Parts: sequence; C-alpha cells; structure tokens
Amino acid sequence: MLVPPPSSAPQEHALAPPSAVPASAVELETPLFFESAGRPLYGVFHPPAQERPGAPVLVQCHGLGIEQITTYRVEVLNARAAAAAGIPVLRYHARGHGDSAGDFSAVDFDGLVEDALAAAAEARRLARREHTAWLGVRFGTLVAARAACSDPTSRALALWEPAHRSADYFREQLRGMLFSQVAQGERPSATVDQLMERLGRDGTVDVHGYYLHRRIVDSSREQDLGNTLAAWTGRTLIVQIENRARLSPRTAAFVADLESRAVKVSSTMVHEVPGWTFVQNPAWECGSLVNETSRWLDAVE
Amino acid sequence: MPWSETPAELARARAERPFVVAAPRGRLFAVLTPAAPEAPPAGLCVVLLTRPRSHRNRMWVEGARRLAAQGFSTIRFDYHGCGDSSGDSAPLDPNRPYRDDVVAVIRHARQQLGMQRFVLAGSCFDARTALSAFAEEGASIAGLVFLAAPVMELDTVVQVHADTKDWAHLWRALFKPDNWRALAQPKRWRYMATVVDRVSRQGGNAGDLPLSRGFIEDFRALVRSRARALFLYGLEDAEYASFRVAERTVFAELPAEVRARFEIEVWPGTVHGFLEMTRQRETFARSLGWIEALHPNAKAARSTDRTGLPAAS
Repeated sequence: MLVPPPSSAPQEHALAPPSAVPASAVELETPLFFESAGRPLYGVFHPPAQERPGAPVLVQCHGLGIEQITTYRVEVLNARAAAAAGIPVLRYHARGHGDSAGDFSAVDFDGLVEDALAAAAEARRLARREHTAWLGVRFGTLVAARAACSDPTSRALALWEPAHRSADYFREQLRGMLFSQVAQGERPSATVDQLMERLGRDGTVDVHGYYLHRRIVDSSREQDLGNTLAAWTGRTLIVQIENRARLSPRTAAFVADLESRAVKVSSTMVHEVPGWTFVQNPAWECGSLVNETSRWLDAVE
Repeated sequence: MPWSETPAELARARAERPFVVAAPRGRLFAVLTPAAPEAPPAGLCVVLLTRPRSHRNRMWVEGARRLAAQGFSTIRFDYHGCGDSSGDSAPLDPNRPYRDDVVAVIRHARQQLGMQRFVLAGSCFDARTALSAFAEEGASIAGLVFLAAPVMELDTVVQVHADTKDWAHLWRALFKPDNWRALAQPKRWRYMATVVDRVSRQGGNAGDLPLSRGFIEDFRALVRSRARALFLYGLEDAEYASFRVAERTVFAELPAEVRARFEIEVWPGTVHGFLEMTRQRETFARSLGWIEALHPNAKAARSTDRTGLPAAS
C-alpha cells in the first residue's frame, strides 16, 4: 500500500511503472567498467529510451554490504523505469562491492564518496548531460548526500529509508540481526553492545553471514545526514519504507528542517516490510517504491 | 578470514569484461575473468552460479579472480529475473532449474569467447541448475561442484529429514523455548505436523520416498558424460537426508569406473545456507581447491609426487 506524499501535488506524467518498461529500453542497457582511484568499478548504463532535453543523469548509490545485495533488484527496476521515461541512469558497484575491485574490509566512507563522484563524472560523460540527480539507498543516502553537496552539477537527491546517523545505522543493523534470530527461534548469543565491542576488538563481526568491518564503522562515525545537507538546496525526495502510519519522528524532523530552509522536499511512505534484511526468494522488488520515485523524478529537470 | 585482494587478483579484475547473453527468458548480464596470460593455461572455463552472481561476501568474485590468476577462465552471470538481467523474477525451486540460462551462457562462451571445456559450480538451486546443463552440454563439461542441493521435491525433503528424528528427539525439542517461539510462524506448524506424522509411523523408511524425476534425468546425463564431480553436504543439512537416498539408489547402481569419477564428502554440521562464516570459508576453499586440482599442471604435480617422475602425457 502506498500513501501519496502530502506535500507534493499529484503528477500527471508519472514515469512508467516497472511492469510497463518497454523491452527496447532494457536492450539498451550496457554493462561496463570505469576507473575510480585507479581501480576498476563495475557499472550499468541505462540510456534514455526517449529524448528528454534538460533532464539530469541519475546516479544510484547502493547500500552497504548485505544491503547492496538485498536492495539490488529494486534499484535495477528503478533505473529501468527512469530510463524508459527519458532519464539516463548509471548504477555502479562501489569499491569492495559486487563486481568492482577492492577489499570490503578496506572500504571507508571517503572512498565510497570518491567512487560516487567518479560514477557521476562517468554518468555525465556517457549520457552527455550537464546535471546530476542522485539516489541513495539506506547507508548509500549518506554517501549520496555527501557526493551531492561536493558536486556542483547536482540538482536533485532521492533518499530511500535514509540512514540519518551512521552510528545509529550500524547499531540498528546489529539489532535487526538479533531480532531476526529470535524470529527464527534462536536465542541471540550477544547484545548489540557486545557485538560493537567485538567489532572494535576483532575488527569484524558477522551479520547474517556477511562481514561488517571496523574500518567502515570508524571512518563514518561522524556522518550525520542533517549536517551533511545543511547547505543543500536541490529538490529532495525522502521515502520511508516501514509498516507504520506516519513518518518516524526522526524522519519528520529531518523533513521539517529541510522545509524550513525552503528546500523543495517531498516525503512519502511505502507501507511494506523492509526487504533489505534478508536475501529473499525471489528478490525484493517493491513496485510501489519504484512508482513513487518515478513520480518524483518526472518533475525533476 | 575475509578476502584480501592480492596484486594478481587485482590484475585479473582489471582484465574482466562484462557481456550480455541472449537467453530464451531474458538478457543475461555476465562477467568474464580471462585467464592470466602469464599462468599455464588450464584449458577450462569455470562457470560460477548463484544469484546475485557475486555470492555471499563476494565469494564468486574472489573465486573467479583467484582461479583466473592460475590459468582458468571464469564466468559469473545473473539468471533471468535476477540481478542485472532482464526477464521476470519468480521463486527459485531447485527442482525447476534454469537450464536454459546456463546452457545459453555455455554456448555463448563457446561461440563468442572461444571456450571449449567447462567446469560448473553451485549450491542448492545453483547446483541443480549446473547439473541440469549435462542434458544438453554434457560432452563439453569436465567438472561439477555440487553443494548441498536437495534431490527430491521440496515437500519430500521435509518428510525424509523428519525420518532422521525419533520420539526422543521430539521429547528433547519440547524443552527448547526457541522451538515454541518458532511456532509463531504458520510454516513451522506445518513442519511440526509433518515431523510428528513421520515419527509416529516409525516405519518411516526414507527409501520409500522418491528422488525427483528431474534429478534422476540430469544425474543420468552426468553419468553419460565423462565429467568428474564433487558432491558436498553437511550431516545436519535437510538436503543431505534426501541425498542419502540417492547414495543408496542411483549411486549404488553405478559401474565402478563411473563411480570413481564422483567424490562424495559429508562434513559435520551444515554446509547448506552459507550462514556460518567459518563454514562458509571452508566450503568456498574446498570448492576452489577441487577445481584447482583439475588444472593439468596440478594433475602432473600429483603424479610427480607419487612417482618422483613427471606424469606421462
């Protein structure tokens, strides 16, 4: 179920929903490698299926570790919907993720931002566009926000279930893992504090069979979405993906802060159980999330 | 220990080439890691299967680059409806493997990339998909790594796993609070009903439960081929209970020279799922080690070890 964004007017020219993406748009997609900091990063360029002068190129910044996997398919569908409506897109794998080079254990926050900026430069070159729109997913919202504020070509920023503060994000990720153990009928072997201690001591902990490393936690310790976007003025979309009736207090405060600075911000809620905790069969696709993002992108020029 | 990229592996990353395969149910996005030109060629292309194609903790990316540094070419790809590929997604059922996808990748690799001999590796659904390729491509497949896959229809796997339990097991289970908490899930009730039913029959001889027709057909194709195969399970895998029936039936009927091509390993604990980090790395290491041993130089080295003389060509 989807609740329309209260602060945005209905759109008359919403982008194509995922099921309506023409096959020809998919056939144009091109996998490639490009360089960031001297190492190859994997990406897929989605050329626009129709002319749309003035539209920016969309760069999608994925989540961290397991969440890069669990939200992958919905990001692919989002890129297809945008490209079908005339907005070129570059998806990429940051260093230490997916098919790109690099160790996940060596990933730090500045490196992720460096990769995002390299991806944006590559995206503008491929799409022959001057302006950039950003999509950040979960931890990727912190990366996209930092990159958007560093890149003068940035015009718009969409945030899927933002990670407001990195320290809270990592604790929530560990807490979610412990809850899932209880749901599976298992007794958690440690508390969140104990897991954080273990991370500090050993350098790594296991989250659902995936590693979480101390370096990314330490290097992003001070990241705060509100602070990062203190000078941001571009169009902004915030999507909350939770099974709750209202925006969470934290997200509501974030929206209010942006509005107080006259940022054109839209917020919307996707009432679904979040799909990023486990690798699902089939993968989480969340059509309502894609539709809502498409509606917002349609108004971005 | 987590993967730490070596200079040789980084060099293979730089050499990787993405490509797209036109398959019957979608465009499949794939990555080729070419064999290192400085390494002795293995003459084999390893196709690593799973979704998404990088695998947990990027195991197949690590595996692809490590194998390529030793002279193997490798390919990893997304099934239709998964990852980057197009096509409709659907729940994956090991008894309905994506044969069209893996066969399309093999044929593309042969026709467009010049690969001739293949090794396939996967776990669960991916293992069954790898096995399914033998029906059409058995002559070009030299090896199969088959990890912890069910070989019966999934409902039957639950029954045969239940047959490994007895009343004492159920009695002990009553005193585990975690089991009661798990009953919050409807599927757990169905599972419990099946277990109690099978235990109460106590005749519950797993031998009366059938292997899936698809597995039997694909296994026969493997037997007809000349490929070697590694079958790896955990003693506590539900999937292993089904495989034991295969050991007692289709494996037991094999001629000795065919049986000699197949290795079966059963480890304590579980292999299926890759959820426990130490076991995840052990399974990965064993899979890669088994593939590495298919390299002609590795075979020659083994021969030399045994005789003190180089292997005869």
